[in-house]
Amino acid sequence: MKPLPYYFNPTSNRLRISFALFIFLLMGLWGCRKVIDVNLNDAAPQLVVEGNIYNAPGPYSIQLSKTINYSSLNEFPPVIGAAVFVKDITDGVTDTLQESSAGKYITKKIQGLSGHSYQLQIGTGGQTYSAYTTLPAPVPFDSVSFEKIARPGGKVDWYAVINYKDPAGENNYYLFTLWVNGRKINNTFAFDDRLSDGRYVSRTLRTDSAYIQQGDSVMVTMNHMGKEGYQYYSSFTQATGNGALQSVSPANPVSNLSNKALGYFLAGAIQTRKSVAK
Amino acid sequence: MLRTYCLPLILSIGLILIGKPGISQPLLSINGTVKDASSGEVLIGASMFLLENAQKITLTNAYGFFSITATPGNYRLVAMFAGYKTDTLSVNLQGNQSLIIKLQPMGRELAEVVVSTRKKNEQVIRPLMGVQKLSVKEMNNVPVIFGEKDVLKTIQLLPGVKSAGEGNSGFYVRGGGADQNLILLDEATVYNASHLLGFFSSFNSDAIKDLTLYKGAMPAEYGGRLASVVDVKMIDGNNQSFHASGGIGLISSRLNLEGPLVKDKSSFMLSGRRTYADVFLGLSRDSSIRDNSLYFYDFNAKANYILNKKNRLFLSGYFGRDKLGFGKTFGIDYGNSTATLRWNHIFNGRLFLNNSLIYSNYNYNIEIKSGVNNIIIKSKIEDLAIKTDFQYFINNDNKINFGTQITRHLLSPGIVDASANSSFNSLTLPVKKALEAAAYFNHEYAPNANLRINYGIRLTSFSLLGPGNFNTYDSASNILQTITKTDNSAVKTYFNPEPRFSASWLLNPLSSVKASYTRNVQNLHLLSNSAAINPTDIWIPSSLQVKPEIADQVAVGYYANDKQFAFDFFVEAYYKWMQNQVDYKNGAQLRANENVESQLLFGTGRAYGLEWFLKKKTGKLTGWISYTLARTERSVPGINNGNWYPARQDQTHNIAIVGIYQTNSRWTISANWVYNTGNAVTFPSGKYRLNGQNVYYYTERNGYRFPDYHRLDLAATLKNKPKPGREGSWTFSLYNVYGRENTYSIEFKDDPNNPGKTIAEQTALFKWVPSITYNFKF
Repeated sequence: MKPLPYYFNPTSNRLRISFALFIFLLMGLWGCRKVIDVNLNDAAPQLVVEGNIYNAPGPYSIQLSKTINYSSLNEFPPVIGAAVFVKDITDGVTDTLQESSAGKYITKKIQGLSGHSYQLQIGTGGQTYSAYTTLPAPVPFDSVSFEKIARPGGKVDWYAVINYKDPAGENNYYLFTLWVNGRKINNTFAFDDRLSDGRYVSRTLRTDSAYIQQGDSVMVTMNHMGKEGYQYYSSFTQATGNGALQSVSPANPVSNLSNKALGYFLAGAIQTRKSVAK
Repeated sequence: MLRTYCLPLILSIGLILIGKPGISQPLLSINGTVKDASSGEVLIGASMFLLENAQKITLTNAYGFFSITATPGNYRLVAMFAGYKTDTLSVNLQGNQSLIIKLQPMGRELAEVVVSTRKKNEQVIRPLMGVQKLSVKEMNNVPVIFGEKDVLKTIQLLPGVKSAGEGNSGFYVRGGGADQNLILLDEATVYNASHLLGFFSSFNSDAIKDLTLYKGAMPAEYGGRLASVVDVKMIDGNNQSFHASGGIGLISSRLNLEGPLVKDKSSFMLSGRRTYADVFLGLSRDSSIRDNSLYFYDFNAKANYILNKKNRLFLSGYFGRDKLGFGKTFGIDYGNSTATLRWNHIFNGRLFLNNSLIYSNYNYNIEIKSGVNNIIIKSKIEDLAIKTDFQYFINNDNKINFGTQITRHLLSPGIVDASANSSFNSLTLPVKKALEAAAYFNHEYAPNANLRINYGIRLTSFSLLGPGNFNTYDSASNILQTITKTDNSAVKTYFNPEPRFSASWLLNPLSSVKASYTRNVQNLHLLSNSAAINPTDIWIPSSLQVKPEIADQVAVGYYANDKQFAFDFFVEAYYKWMQNQVDYKNGAQLRANENVESQLLFGTGRAYGLEWFLKKKTGKLTGWISYTLARTERSVPGINNGNWYPARQDQTHNIAIVGIYQTNSRWTISANWVYNTGNAVTFPSGKYRLNGQNVYYYTERNGYRFPDYHRLDLAATLKNKPKPGREGSWTFSLYNVYGRENTYSIEFKDDPNNPGKTIAEQTALFKWVPSITYNFKF
């Protein structure tokens, strides 16, 4: 089960803070937030991989960059001149990727096919990195609907609801991405079917604040992935607390890359549904 | 399974060690019970001695019972207890004597009447280490947040005890985890001793008589947790006259009723409290506000009956419940209930028996309604225990405690009840059944005037029982082996001896040195990723995969009193090794997971520190200074590259200063100041961009610190003008007087004013918290 959003999760720090807020609104008192200086150590730069293969015609891209120090400006150095290979293990075809722009490597012949497994190999800076992923068959994504929740003060919040039938008797892992009026919402919705195997699933995408207004056009993509994708995204959610306060011991998400590289190389079957909030 | 066969064995070992007393005249016993003269409450830990043999001080036990041996003759028996007038009785000892001694409370007199040259200095003489007692009387004047007297918050001001967070009743002892504290209420385990997410403890101070904290070096009578025992005892109820007392505060109100059922023979106590912040919600016209709920209540009840001079019965119970609900979409309720039935029996003046039948239950229910999904999640832990404790007062130099305890644990980790058209399947995780049996033996021995030894052993056996399938897992979380067991057959039994030893050496009548070694074993483990104990935390038993947690602690200390006995001082040093500490894998699925054990990692821990404590007990100004210098670390393969890292509860410096000033008028002024090193936390050392988002890069577990924490609290209590049979007082308090914004959490995010930069934003929970409480008694 995905970690509950804070208002559903009695273990969350945020709920504690909300409770304190609740008492102190009654008493007219409240603690406060402020920006503070923290002196953080520097970390040796580490390879970051962002690689996706979809069940849609290529080319697919693998982007390589490096971590920077916390105190640095948000300019993330691309890794150029790396040797990048993607192999379709099922077909035995190997693709040598071409660097189309700094740090962005493009496939030439590999196609994303359901049931196929893929291997990524990277050579850079005297190190090699690899990852393995499988592209599952797509699960029909029926529709996007809406749930309206009244909030104190009379305001009504809208949330998107996804509807699909989970195939019974197999492990399925999903990642949903929400777009409101063309803007991508930075919440991660990673679900597995450990507790919903074979059910017709209608789940509300709980965002950390209400982004959807009446009349907005909403788009949701379903990415049906292998276990490695769910492991990455669910641990990413735990580490970051879905934009809310972090867990007690945040850690790097569980990656399918070897040699301590960060990020992922994931194959997934993508479908998109749209709806207007009304 | 019951392992009681151990008992005769260890008993005989003990008797060999004691040997023959080697006396010519017959030894007679002066025994009895010490009580408060006005309420009939028994007094725990009163000092008893014969003036003719003032070296040998005996303390009354948990039921107020004492036993002193002497040859025939005329004696003066002295009974002393803090806050009471010392009593001296003439005893003409020709046969065994059984007495009931009633001590008069001192009221407002400040100076203690000196009746003897030997004054109580138990903390110097007793061999036990790391023990601290707090009476509710002592706690009443210490300022606390929301003006709610709270025993679990007050013990956080003692050395070696760290708070789990701002305004939180959770605590850590000597580097142990929050689940490594055994919290007992009239002998029943309280699994979640907190209300409202930790802001309040389960203990209503009106119903509590006494609290003893054992910091690791507990006597063999206690077991089951690594770090500490917090032994809380409820009041028995006044058996002389009926009284009502209570308090009205900003957050909650309390009412306590007590009185005799049959005067001098039996009494009852009923105590309840409830918060009422949610009452204001109900006044709202807005249904989205009105439908929220947020409250807790609890009840303590106790009755006792003195059957005759040799037999007494006690029945006590606790029931507490929290309820939180957000509109119609989410609700959780949780709480503990405990019940204890006890029978005291005095065989003769020297052998005291207590039998207890103990029940404890903690459960929670969560209800989630979202669209078509209507889900109820239930979880429960239930204990049923039988405990037998003997205390054998052989002579003034030898005392033996021995007994057995058998506990059946039932752990129901989760039932998910989903509606028919919901997105989820209903699921019932198998109930885990375990039988824990223990036998203990403890000998308190004074070989000569300066040396006192307390040694013992606790033998525990913990069996995980069928029915069901039980797995072991490999490091990749895959099932290695499955064992199927029928009902009540043992899946795995762990047998552990837990030796306990402590000794004190009197340097002079006013100071001593002590040393101790203790092994503790813990067979119930908490899975939690939060700072304190949370309502939905999961307890799991030792199993094929999960080994018992073991801690070995050595400690040495120096203890001293001044000549006037106005001050207590000690310094203790300890080192503790911990085995089989439970942590879990990154991205672990702990909830509703049948294979939750596959998500765990096991490591070792170490903790060491120095604790200083200076307490002023008499005069207008009383209080204490406590300072702890400590370190606690863990090493877990799979976390932090297997390197040692500071545990979350690691705290280098911890200072608490408590002062209570009794003015000549009706005012009492009190203050406390605390300072400690910030929590060990994990901060990012770098960042990277992925999927259009900035992500933080972590390189070390708990490698950073929150800013230092410090805070001053003040309280003033004004007593109403004295009226016969009526007492009332107003307490005004201010928490965090100088408004320090202490860090509660730090969030890293993009700077909204400069998107190229990352900022750290801290949240402080409370700036100032004033409160006002009215307490009454009649």
